[in-house]
Amino acid sequence: MDLFLQTLLNGLLQSGIYALVASGLALAVGVVGIVNFAHGEFLMIGAFMAWAASAFLGVDPLLSLPIVAVAVFGVGALTYRVSIRHVLLAPELNQMLLTFGLGILLQNLALMLLGGNTRTVTTPYQASSLNIGELSIGGPKAIAFGLAVVLLGALYFMLYRTVLGRQMRAVAQNRRGAQLIGIPVDRVYLIAFGVSCGLAAVAGVLVSVLLFASPTVGLVFALKAFAIIVMAGLGNLTGVLWASVILGLSEALVQTYVPGGGGWSDAVFFLMIFGTLVLRSFRRPA
Amino acid sequence: MPGEVVLRADGLSKRFGGLQAVQNVTFDHYDGEILAVIGPNGAGKTTLLNLLSGVYRPSTGRLELLGQDITHAPMEHRCHAGLGRAFQVVRPFPEMTVHENVTVGALFGQPGTTLPQARERAYDLLERTGLADQAARAAHELTLLQDKRMEIARALATGPRVLLLDEVMAGLRPGEAAEAVELIRSVRADGVSVLFIEHIMPVVRDLADRVVVMDQGQVIAQGTYREVTAHPQVVAAYLGTEEGLGA
Amino acid sequence: MGTPASKRQAARKPDITGIALIPLAIFFVLALVFPFLPLGDRGAFLLQIGFFTLVAGIMALSWDILARSGQVSLAHAAFYGLGAYGYALLLKTGMAWPLAMPLAALGAGVISLVLGAVTMRLSGMYFAIATLAFTEVVRTVIQNLPESVAGGANGLLVPALLGGNSRGQYLLALALLALTAGVSLAVRTGRLHHAFAAIRQGEETARVLGVSTVRYKLAAFFISSFLAALAGVLYAGKTFFISPLDTFSLANSIAPLTTSIFGGLYTTLGPILGATVLRVAEEALHNVVKNGYLVVYGLVLMLSILWLPRGLMGLFRRGKHGGDV
Repeated sequence: MDLFLQTLLNGLLQSGIYALVASGLALAVGVVGIVNFAHGEFLMIGAFMAWAASAFLGVDPLLSLPIVAVAVFGVGALTYRVSIRHVLLAPELNQMLLTFGLGILLQNLALMLLGGNTRTVTTPYQASSLNIGELSIGGPKAIAFGLAVVLLGALYFMLYRTVLGRQMRAVAQNRRGAQLIGIPVDRVYLIAFGVSCGLAAVAGVLVSVLLFASPTVGLVFALKAFAIIVMAGLGNLTGVLWASVILGLSEALVQTYVPGGGGWSDAVFFLMIFGTLVLRSFRRPA
Repeated sequence: MPGEVVLRADGLSKRFGGLQAVQNVTFDHYDGEILAVIGPNGAGKTTLLNLLSGVYRPSTGRLELLGQDITHAPMEHRCHAGLGRAFQVVRPFPEMTVHENVTVGALFGQPGTTLPQARERAYDLLERTGLADQAARAAHELTLLQDKRMEIARALATGPRVLLLDEVMAGLRPGEAAEAVELIRSVRADGVSVLFIEHIMPVVRDLADRVVVMDQGQVIAQGTYREVTAHPQVVAAYLGTEEGLGA
Repeated sequence: MGTPASKRQAARKPDITGIALIPLAIFFVLALVFPFLPLGDRGAFLLQIGFFTLVAGIMALSWDILARSGQVSLAHAAFYGLGAYGYALLLKTGMAWPLAMPLAALGAGVISLVLGAVTMRLSGMYFAIATLAFTEVVRTVIQNLPESVAGGANGLLVPALLGGNSRGQYLLALALLALTAGVSLAVRTGRLHHAFAAIRQGEETARVLGVSTVRYKLAAFFISSFLAALAGVLYAGKTFFISPLDTFSLANSIAPLTTSIFGGLYTTLGPILGATVLRVAEEALHNVVKNGYLVVYGLVLMLSILWLPRGLMGLFRRGKHGGDV
């Protein structure tokens, strides 16, 4: 029983980071209408920034987090300006391939400049843990989950309680209409894409503490984020939260209860993608 | 006078959630006949056409083509069985030439056709529809009238016994519409039965042998143009709508 | 211009405008002559670059054939890896290589039909993500099988093709590229061209016109994965050693896609040309860019999308519509 509860707890904690990455991606897909295959690379950039701040300046990742978020927001906004913006009206295929190219570029640029090694960030609370009855939570995991919850709260507050958020949701629902009623669509896109990248980067900071920073660390998170937004329904911002929890829990259950589960838990999200896509495609009229 | 039934709809219904778009539609379409389906906006004409061509499957009811049950047949099987369709909004294959567009219909519409046969047949149809000079042009360069001709040529290339036309006159100028009417007559002269949806009443009057009138998803009258326009329910359905019947 | 009757006769002939047959022939003649040139000290090295250029050409062209049917796949690494692993495992059973090679390709072709059936009704990003996920599934499965079966994460040793004869290996690769080009041309000039192009440009319209989309989409999958698996066999037989991480690397899905787009989509010459340029550039830059050479692929992909939408082939026939589509 305790093992089961511990498993559920681990899954839930993991889902916080998934939700951060996935809501960023959902923002890009839903608001800007761009399926950003480079999303994971913005996470990677965030992870490396946190590592660099910690390794060279001795700044704790929790302190560098806001700076990283703002910096990567800028990188995202710039990316939007110089590339994404030019394919907004192009066929979906071109948009996809463009961001795909961007992802490959960023990932390998990192590989070129920093090498393929993983970099870990050491913090004083690395080994700390929290005990609730028989259950134990790693300190960094608990902090990361807490931060994820706070940030997601802020994101959803922004989306549902501010003018900018309302504009974003209006654009997501009806691009044309939003333009007609005078919403500065281009600026909303720019901000949404920046925020999307910023969220990925924040998740990256947390990943650098929980896991490590490496050029390819973003890919697997991006794939999982795709699984989540596919399950939630493209551009469905609230669905992302429960889909993240489902993924986190399923992975934890596989890890605990399937023999050799460590290797297979990374396959859970493929099954989720497949399952959802196939189910959905057969429910559509022929 | 009525010959063999080529297309038989028997109690077709289609529901979208709570909306009954088409309800218990029954009609026979006879060989060599030009049959018009008319009705005010929202009467369910386009849904009916989508049921006939296989875009949707009916919730209940049965559909027969040349005595064969095609109620649940996929679109390509309906095509092979002899059902052709031209879309209201023309959908050319944009990166192909006009000739290639029509060749696709000729090549796949009737299994067993070889590529040279299909190309030649496509060219014949381009000549018939007055598009031979445009054969080598890219499909996206055509004018609207040319587009519609190509759409009809492409549907004819599949060798249909029944051709479904979805408001092909929409957007055409009067002179162009007259040309299109001639084209449809010549199609019938070749032994193809035609079922068309139309808003423009003079076209219906000139072209249709028989008319099926729909309102709110149901057939409210069937008969010659003269008969249905005199039908009180039809008059009531059209009264107050902008389209009117007089046009 | 001629009489209507002669025009009609002419209309029977397949339309092959835009198929660059002469440049294609020139490429193959040059490629055939290449291993017999006095290459000097660096001969073995140059032959190896040549070999991998040909493999890249097979990959790109086979990817392109699938893309012609509107299916832009990120599963090419999976087909490549299935070919490589299938071949290695068949050799382990004692089978002769000339038999193991086509059988491995056949196996990959059959597995691709499963993927094709599952992704049949997906398009755009859904299709791309599903194919990407498929690659990861295949890799995970092979990696997690008992080591005695497929070597697990450590990989497998593969006997060298043709006893390690470089020139022989090169010529075999050239023959398989010629086969791929032949298939590509056959597709381009036959029924499949019309079916693929129609599906790509309007799937529902294609069905209304009688195209059995299921059959043709699966055919595209089968042909494409069969050829890509042959490239995988060449790779396995050349490098002696295959591992899940290298063989199923995302790079092996990215390279054919980028190469085709850069060279010119939906053409036969384009992907081959693209492979040659990108591969040679890769070797030339090898000393400058040690790690992360894919940077170049990412950049080329972005720049092609933004500024060179019809690829290298577009440069040669600027302003002319249609082409080899």
